[in-house]
Amino acid sequence: MWNDLTGLIYSAYEQFSYLPLFIEIALAFIIIAILATIIAYSVILYKRWKGYVEDKRMAFISPKIEEMITEQVLINENLEKVPVEEIEFDPAALNDKIYKKAWVRQVMIDILIQYRKNFRGEVGELLRKLYLDMNLSKDSFDKMKSVRWDKKIKAVVELTQMDIQISDVTILPLTNSTNPSLRAAARNAYIQLSKNEPFKFFDIATEPILPWDQLELFKIITTTKEIAIPNFSRWVSYSTNKSVVSFCLKLIAHYDQQTAVPAVMELLNNKDHYFRADAINCLGKLSAEVAEDRMVRIYNTQPLNCQIEILKAIGRIASGKQLEFLKQEFLYSPNFDIRMNSARSIITHNTAASRAIVEELIETTHDENRLIISHCQNPLIKY
Amino acid sequence: MNITFWEILSKFYEVTVFVYGITLLSIYALLALFSFLNIRLYLRKESYTDYSVLVGSPLAPGISIVAPAFNEALTIIQNVRSLLTVDYPKYEVVIINDGSTDDTLQLLIDEFSMVKVDYAYDAKLVSRPVRGVYKSTNDAYAKLVVVDKENGKSKADASNAGINVCSFPYFVCTDVDCILHEATLQKLIKPILEEDGLRVIATGATLRLSNSCEVDGGVITKIKAPRPLLARFQEMEYIRAFVLGKMGWSYINAVPNISGGLGMFDKEIAVKVGGYDSASFGEDMDLMMRMNRYTKENKIESSARYIPVTLCWTEGPTTLKVFMRQRTRWGRGLIQLMYIHRKMMLNSRYGRAGMLIFPYNFFFELMAPVIEFTGILYYIYLGVTGQVNWPYAIILLIFVYTYSVMISTLAILWDQLTFQYYKTWMDVVRISSMVFIEMLIYHPLIVIFALRGYFFFLTNRKHSWGNMQRQGFKKAADAQPVSTPAT
Repeated sequence: MWNDLTGLIYSAYEQFSYLPLFIEIALAFIIIAILATIIAYSVILYKRWKGYVEDKRMAFISPKIEEMITEQVLINENLEKVPVEEIEFDPAALNDKIYKKAWVRQVMIDILIQYRKNFRGEVGELLRKLYLDMNLSKDSFDKMKSVRWDKKIKAVVELTQMDIQISDVTILPLTNSTNPSLRAAARNAYIQLSKNEPFKFFDIATEPILPWDQLELFKIITTTKEIAIPNFSRWVSYSTNKSVVSFCLKLIAHYDQQTAVPAVMELLNNKDHYFRADAINCLGKLSAEVAEDRMVRIYNTQPLNCQIEILKAIGRIASGKQLEFLKQEFLYSPNFDIRMNSARSIITHNTAASRAIVEELIETTHDENRLIISHCQNPLIKY
Repeated sequence: MNITFWEILSKFYEVTVFVYGITLLSIYALLALFSFLNIRLYLRKESYTDYSVLVGSPLAPGISIVAPAFNEALTIIQNVRSLLTVDYPKYEVVIINDGSTDDTLQLLIDEFSMVKVDYAYDAKLVSRPVRGVYKSTNDAYAKLVVVDKENGKSKADASNAGINVCSFPYFVCTDVDCILHEATLQKLIKPILEEDGLRVIATGATLRLSNSCEVDGGVITKIKAPRPLLARFQEMEYIRAFVLGKMGWSYINAVPNISGGLGMFDKEIAVKVGGYDSASFGEDMDLMMRMNRYTKENKIESSARYIPVTLCWTEGPTTLKVFMRQRTRWGRGLIQLMYIHRKMMLNSRYGRAGMLIFPYNFFFELMAPVIEFTGILYYIYLGVTGQVNWPYAIILLIFVYTYSVMISTLAILWDQLTFQYYKTWMDVVRISSMVFIEMLIYHPLIVIFALRGYFFFLTNRKHSWGNMQRQGFKKAADAQPVSTPAT
């Protein structure tokens, strides 16, 4: 039997070796394609089955974990009677052998993070204590050692959410990682966890803070109460990282840091026109009247995006001193966007003088300009 | 030994087709690999991405959704409600009534309390005249803008009018009858905001067919594989084109085009290149080509990105007549595009667009139907004249068949790895079964209709836009379908 089989294979091989090369290659690829197709369908089958099993497991374990958290934390009778660090959990509940399984511990961490997002104060602290007492922080720190960047990010996120300190030696180098995702996660963590100098990484950042990272950082900075807000003008003046400066301009505007106006005005000399536009935008939001004359002086040398930002800034500052400038731009600029923004800024002033100019313009200007004024005055048109 | 000219030509053709075939199969294999790597990267990033930072942020860039409508009375209210459910902090919905002859505009006015406003319309992009712009007096619909214009006989013309009233730096182009996922804008803007050093000028996502899906209030409530055979073939083709093809191209920053069904664009660049060309039959690819050209000519480091998640569901043709019209137009659009932008061919000045995207489209998209068709004719000739070694020929046919089955199966696998859209096994089986019969039934149709498009272009045949009978969705089943231009 065995000899028959080997004989058959040998005979097939002998015949195969006499075939032209391209037919041999085609036959080899047919086998590869069939195997790949079978494997692909097997993986689809396995993935769907695995998904089904995971759903079942989650349906079983999630209520069990939530019940444990409710009993040990949410309805803990010692809560608000005893300091959180002195509260002891029921050892039997924590030492249940089901919590030894890695996947259950991961589910536990994910659920605890969800609860931490919803509960602050003592309940939040007790959730943190449960995380520490179950030694789940070890699981997170183990992930930090992974070579996979996504595992590292998961670890950083978990530790940050549970307010576990990560040493500067570990986290600070990651804030300047060449991997944008890891860098962003480390920066978010550093701002939330560093008690003394949460913005220290601004000093060492050579890699950019991408717009998406800025969204995340902005949310963290503006929603975390414990963070001491510094004067961001120091980075505007000294940082060589454009994205750090650009982000600081947004923070200066958000926190209305009037003391930063001189530093921001320095950026009006910057060679990068996108950068200048950001600075002008910031000055407008700060209502920096002191910058108005300077902006009007440089207006004619600026590209369109900066000119539009200057017109918007004058509208925001609304000192009334530049109404004539706005009127001239509205009347004589050949550019539609310039006229539109000039009209908007005149109307935004909403003073007796600006209303008089609007009246005068409606009386004297041509149809298209009248339509622009009407457009800008219409409360239904918001943008 | 005398060798005739015919024999030399035959040999040349055989060698050319052989090299062509091997190259094409190698490209598919590479695309499968690249798309896998890209999808894996995307999924890893998604595993910790918190989109709530965007939803509540004052730093989120504004986005305009541009959706042209022509005689969409049957579904317009449901469609607009669907677009208004999108979850994003700063956006507007611009509906362009492209000179509808039914009561599309009146329905919008009545349903959303719209009034005509004095709107300073700046025609930066060329389109047929705008008759009026409408805004709602109801604050709940403050995001809605309706532009009423004369019919321009093309989606491109209507889209241009819509882009002219966009207030924000990015716009999403879609069809009004498309159903968007509520997170569409969040997901499409993310690649733009996370790119380091390159300006992302366009992003796209996977499209699927809505034909058999359950829809309620303009929102998909249950995703199902299409039941009609023709739609099912198209769904499988979409999965392969988007999940495997475009994700693969995106990995090497060489996305050839962003689908007209759903794409987000950088308005500044799109306006600078003149927006959509209403004379083009492939206006979406044409816009992408011109944007690529513009950025290269102006030394702007740019890219276009695709994401593997399905964010848009569109109704596909279910009758052969409408399908033929659609694919003929696509074929005609492709050859027209290759002709207009021929300067880019193997021109290193245009970087990947000139050295990779254009040659690929020329040789493996435009020429593929020609090579296939002539190949079949040549095969028949060889068969009739007894010059075919049938055992070898059959082995080669099996090779091509199994290879194409493998590539399509990998596309389905990648799709299943991304997100298991189909909730039942039967839906997976329905789509998977198409893989095995596509080559015998669907593919020949594609080839014939593409050649028909080329023929119409070469003979300068006048184009008729025709009508697509919209089926509407289950909730609107009692109303009569109306005619709309084929997409």
